Amino acid sequence: MMFLASCGQQEKQEEKETKAAAIEAKTYKLGMSLAITGPTSDAGNPYAKGVEDYFKYVNEEKLLGIDTIDCTIRDDQYKTDVTKRNFEDYIGQGIIFYLNYSTGSTLGLKKDFDEEKIATIPASYHAGNLVDSNYIFLPIASYSEQLIILAEYVANNHKGGKAKVALFVHPSAFGRGPVSDVEKAIAAGLNIELVEVVEHGKDLDNTAMLKRLMSKGVQYVISQTIQSPVATMLKDSQRLGLTASSFGEAGKITFMGAHYTGGNDLIALAGDAAENYFWTTAFTITSVPGPATQAQLALAKRYSRDDKTANSHNYAAGIMVAEVAAEVIRRAKAKGVEINKEALYTEMNAMNGYNSYHPLTCTGPVTYSKTDRAGVDMLQIYSVQNGVFKKVGEPIQSEYIKKIK
Amino acid sequence: MSANSWLATGNFFTTYKQEQRTFLTSLDRAFFTFFLVLLFGWPLVFELSNKYMLVVDNVLIAIVAVMGLNLVTGFAGLISIGHAAFVGIGAYTIASFCRTIGDSHIIITHFWPALIVFSGLVGAIFGAIVGLPALRLKHLYLAIATLSFQMIFEWTIQFMTFFNQGQTIYVGRVFWFTGKVGRKDHYLFWYFIILTIVILLGFGIRNLLKTRYGRCLMAVRDNDRAADAMGMNPGLTKVYAFALAGFFAGVAGALHAYVYRGVGFESFTLHESVGYLAMAIVGGLGTLNGSFWGPVAIKFLDLQVETLAETAAQYLPSSMNLATALKPFTFGLVIVLFLMFEPRGIANWWRIIKSYTKLWPFRY
Repeated sequence: MMFLASCGQQEKQEEKETKAAAIEAKTYKLGMSLAITGPTSDAGNPYAKGVEDYFKYVNEEKLLGIDTIDCTIRDDQYKTDVTKRNFEDYIGQGIIFYLNYSTGSTLGLKKDFDEEKIATIPASYHAGNLVDSNYIFLPIASYSEQLIILAEYVANNHKGGKAKVALFVHPSAFGRGPVSDVEKAIAAGLNIELVEVVEHGKDLDNTAMLKRLMSKGVQYVISQTIQSPVATMLKDSQRLGLTASSFGEAGKITFMGAHYTGGNDLIALAGDAAENYFWTTAFTITSVPGPATQAQLALAKRYSRDDKTANSHNYAAGIMVAEVAAEVIRRAKAKGVEINKEALYTEMNAMNGYNSYHPLTCTGPVTYSKTDRAGVDMLQIYSVQNGVFKKVGEPIQSEYIKKIK
Repeated sequence: MSANSWLATGNFFTTYKQEQRTFLTSLDRAFFTFFLVLLFGWPLVFELSNKYMLVVDNVLIAIVAVMGLNLVTGFAGLISIGHAAFVGIGAYTIASFCRTIGDSHIIITHFWPALIVFSGLVGAIFGAIVGLPALRLKHLYLAIATLSFQMIFEWTIQFMTFFNQGQTIYVGRVFWFTGKVGRKDHYLFWYFIILTIVILLGFGIRNLLKTRYGRCLMAVRDNDRAADAMGMNPGLTKVYAFALAGFFAGVAGALHAYVYRGVGFESFTLHESVGYLAMAIVGGLGTLNGSFWGPVAIKFLDLQVETLAETAAQYLPSSMNLATALKPFTFGLVIVLFLMFEPRGIANWWRIIKSYTKLWPFRY
């Protein structure tokens, strides 16, 4: 009898230990490498803070129950060599999900992501990131899609004949990548005429270029670069009296651009020359009131971020990628599977249809599958009105991107 | 020679051959052998993470490049501020093969030692071509000529589609006798390879400096007209100094391509050239061991400043972006301080330390 009793006690003890082990808190290791200092750090810095703040919020509000996310964020100064070193470090630490930044480093480490079989979300929306890669997921529609959306907007809203368009691009893969896709869209029937593709340098004056474009009858300049060269161009155009005061004004130029050309930083750099600038992105912005703006500002306030960071669309972009990462962990956890690289990759690919996910700071749902690795496809066009970006219509999806795929 | 080859005391030479020995005493040789064993042995005892192994590999590659720069700038006195472009020539030689025959072709993956040497030779050819202006130009004007080569290189890579417009060109994984070198052993494997190359090239320079060709370099540096009067050919000397530097840089570039398993334009910019020059200055221009000290010191400093800037970025106001300025500021400050207070570089500290230890046992 004594033996049986002791056996019973032992079983109870083991049961208790099993339960305790079952509810033991887990920490999920994630890694992120981006330009907190150096070139493009004006975008990287708020992006990093967005990621950091959202993961803090997840942990503090126990959105993953007692489990927590530990995301190490390292500066790579926009250098691929340093990104590679950071990535190797993270892999050594056993990360299960990786967040990257630049186009150059994403392309440079593409094979490493595949070898490590680790789902990666970069801050670069270059379509080339997805070529020959299975593990890179763009957060939003590619630069190509953004430029085509703007070109479609021009084709649909231009009055009188075929619109003459010039592209103003960064002299790198980041800038050049979408050019061939725009050309393909035109070949597929997009009703615009591509007059010239300008690769900008570090020019401080664009008078000659603008005069040349005017002489060729260009009415729309679509930019795929960063804010500073666009700001220089806008200021020169304003000085020369070439900027259209409304979309498509005859005899003037309407300026437009993709994600990294716009935002509050552009307005800060270009001042009132930014007026009537058309910009597309898949993120909500704080100059448009709504629940997303409230949430973004509340998060920034909670973690004592300054106004510049709080109102940055890059802060919103950082929050978004953190939301996606936290969501796939939550989903994998809900299924009771072991949370590892493979499980999160599977969850990423399953994020479509009824399983799509709508992060608060985005203009549409994130959808991923084995054949679609561009997240938010719904792009919102904004334009600067009275010194702030305002919505132009509702979010739209590109028609021609499907045709050229 | 002294009766006891282990002692420095009473060490005198009876032939030129004896004087030109690499190691003056058996003790020197024993120390050096022990040091080599240590260099080859430590990774087998202390397992280092891939991150730090990559840092070590990177330092060794920089040593190979700086040895070349030291030959042309330190020993021959010809300023070159386009050294990263020569390194890039080596890397893009490998990349050209990858673009032409595929990154996993047997030539890339199995015949990599031959490709590394070939990259060095291509670097040497470009070095000799760029060195031609040295026949007519000196000092600042020569520096501008090398700078223009850097600019031409950058432009060519960024705009030619063959070079993927500067974006990464992938390089396949190499094979060793044991099979394909996997991800786990990649950096360790290359550590042993690069270390072997550093040792071979180091001995190469040491021996070169004992020959008339090596002495020509220094004679031309000190006074090329006097060297000419002494029967040397300053023009040829300058061109082969550039060719030699190009060879070292080409080898370094090829190693970079294999270690990083890809070639991208941003590793070979003017900024990197200035970095190599800084390593040569901080290490000690015109000294062989300076080529080792410089890269170690600058890369170590880089790592520390990176951490500092990253921490500072968390606290400094983002609108001013002060953290970004920390790295170039520290970098510049170190170079200025060395130029002001120790123009002979860390190699001079090493010389002083050695001279103290030489007192024992009664060397003089």
